[in-house]
Amino acid sequence: MLGTALRSPATTLAIVLAALITIPLADSLYRIPIQVSDSLEPIVIAAKYDSAQHLLRDSLTFSPTTFRPLRYLQARALLAFSQATGLTYHAVFRGLHVVLLLMLIALFVAAVRVRNWPDFVAFTVAFPVLIGIHTFLSMLLEAFPVNHFAQVGVCAMGVFVLAQRQSRWFVPIAACLLLALSLSVIESGVMVWVTVICCAAAGLPGINRTTVVATTVVLAGYLLLRHMLGISSPGIGGHGSGFGDRFYSPEELTQRFGAHPLGFMLYNVIGGLASLLFAEPRQGVYSLLGAWRQGEIHPVVLINVISSSATTALLVWYAAARLPRSRSAWSDADRTFVAACLAFIVNAAFNAVYIKDEIMSPAGLFYAVATFVAVRAVIDAPPTRTVSATALATCFLVTIAALWTFRVVGGHYQLRYHAFTTRNDWVDVLRPDKHDAWPENPTELAVTQRIRAEAIGRRTTSPSFMPRWSDRYWVE
Amino acid sequence: MSAGPCLVLAVVSAWWTVGALAGNGLWPPDEVTLPEAVATRNNAEAVRLIEKGANPNLPGYVRDGLITNGYAVTVKPIEAAVGAQRADSLRMLLDNGASIDQEELTVLRCLERAHHDSGVSELLAAQSTSAVDCAGVRSPLERAR
Repeated sequence: MLGTALRSPATTLAIVLAALITIPLADSLYRIPIQVSDSLEPIVIAAKYDSAQHLLRDSLTFSPTTFRPLRYLQARALLAFSQATGLTYHAVFRGLHVVLLLMLIALFVAAVRVRNWPDFVAFTVAFPVLIGIHTFLSMLLEAFPVNHFAQVGVCAMGVFVLAQRQSRWFVPIAACLLLALSLSVIESGVMVWVTVICCAAAGLPGINRTTVVATTVVLAGYLLLRHMLGISSPGIGGHGSGFGDRFYSPEELTQRFGAHPLGFMLYNVIGGLASLLFAEPRQGVYSLLGAWRQGEIHPVVLINVISSSATTALLVWYAAARLPRSRSAWSDADRTFVAACLAFIVNAAFNAVYIKDEIMSPAGLFYAVATFVAVRAVIDAPPTRTVSATALATCFLVTIAALWTFRVVGGHYQLRYHAFTTRNDWVDVLRPDKHDAWPENPTELAVTQRIRAEAIGRRTTSPSFMPRWSDRYWVE
Repeated sequence: MSAGPCLVLAVVSAWWTVGALAGNGLWPPDEVTLPEAVATRNNAEAVRLIEKGANPNLPGYVRDGLITNGYAVTVKPIEAAVGAQRADSLRMLLDNGASIDQEELTVLRCLERAHHDSGVSELLAAQSTSAVDCAGVRSPLERAR
């Protein structure tokens, strides 16, 4: 990549552009304190164990429906790293979130491979799609000590980038390692295997039969291990989810759909895909439906739906124009497009039990890659087209780019807002008036006190001092 | 032309980065007094200020637009909490050394009547359940007018 960058000014500029936009995004992400929800508990559990082996052994029985052995081990390793380096917990844990963000951006730049100026123009449209889409923001807001969804995204994009290059001897090994890593942090790690299969189906050169077989064996081994450990899959009611224009609690879902879940699961899968393609529904809830009934619609819903739908229309145009040819006639770009689209379509199936934006986060990455290919094709469209058609296409692209760029700025707002609420959450931890509820274990108490002090000691921006119109335009 | 929005974003992002390095940048944390932190439901900042030595019983400046419209006011943190209808902030202040004497309690209960909040009402009722006469009691939010 660096060699190419030295040869092509367009590549260099794309990297500079990505860096300029990513640095403040990383800053906004870093400002979020370590979360109380989903973070504090695994961190204190990891700190309390006398050895990593004991922690690993016991963590296998923490939940009857999840198998995430690295979740606690990673937290333990970061605690040890903090102790060894003298860095704050915030610097170590939140710093890793930032590193994962930077890796995602770097992998996206590698995946789209900007080589010339038309590529660069396509990049300027696709890059805001990557970081402006709601699935990307949800991934950044993830509360685990180490961002597991970002890890899955990095692993899946890593496999995708390998698949685009010529097949090398180490690809099967790398793909298996990435799959094993992602499966050991969260079940959505299966997306790495899905990516391998989709890349192979699309004919990307880097994935050969050995890679497909090897990763399938790893996945089979994982499923067998889960079965041997008695770990089941979560069913309806394990998590709240939306239906129609309202959100249902786990108990309500069990009551309403528990006996006949198939229809609800189909709704979720279709809803998950629609959420990516049209920005509706969100968490299974169709805001437009609610807005229709109440007679009031927030601008944020319109902005998101219009920008996503217009981008999806572009993808449909590309698919209709380029893919009906025989597979052997497909260009590299066509294969990249097909692999990316297959991956995000299959990703939607992961929403079967409940819809969550984070589950679709790998899909969001592939959606942006497919957007790059489609926009590049618009720029490359036949030179015989009329002036009015060219003007129309330009207006269309400018509108899409502007809306997505607006959504990116909204991402900053939501990250700042989240930093504010997360910091405030710590006020309710170790409350002076509830001293009897404080942890009795000295290690747990010390770790909790330290994280709390770090969180409260880092100032955040209050939404009261941010623009008042922001909520209507950026927060759904 | 379609590169325009992204290029603008890159330039603005560079500006935010330079600003952040200079201690400003995009939406930097504001310097607030303790009552202002309470009025903007910034409980964590209020705790930080108290831990750094701010007195939770001393009145402080609250800029226009936070709990009053058209004028700034000087109030006690606990009055800001009641005026902003923040039961969580009120509880936090009581947990962190704020005290309420009988005279102040009357003022707060009358203020709560004008800015009703069930959580605040419950916390104040825990201090005293006797009837309160608000005739002649001036709201602290009016004092600096």
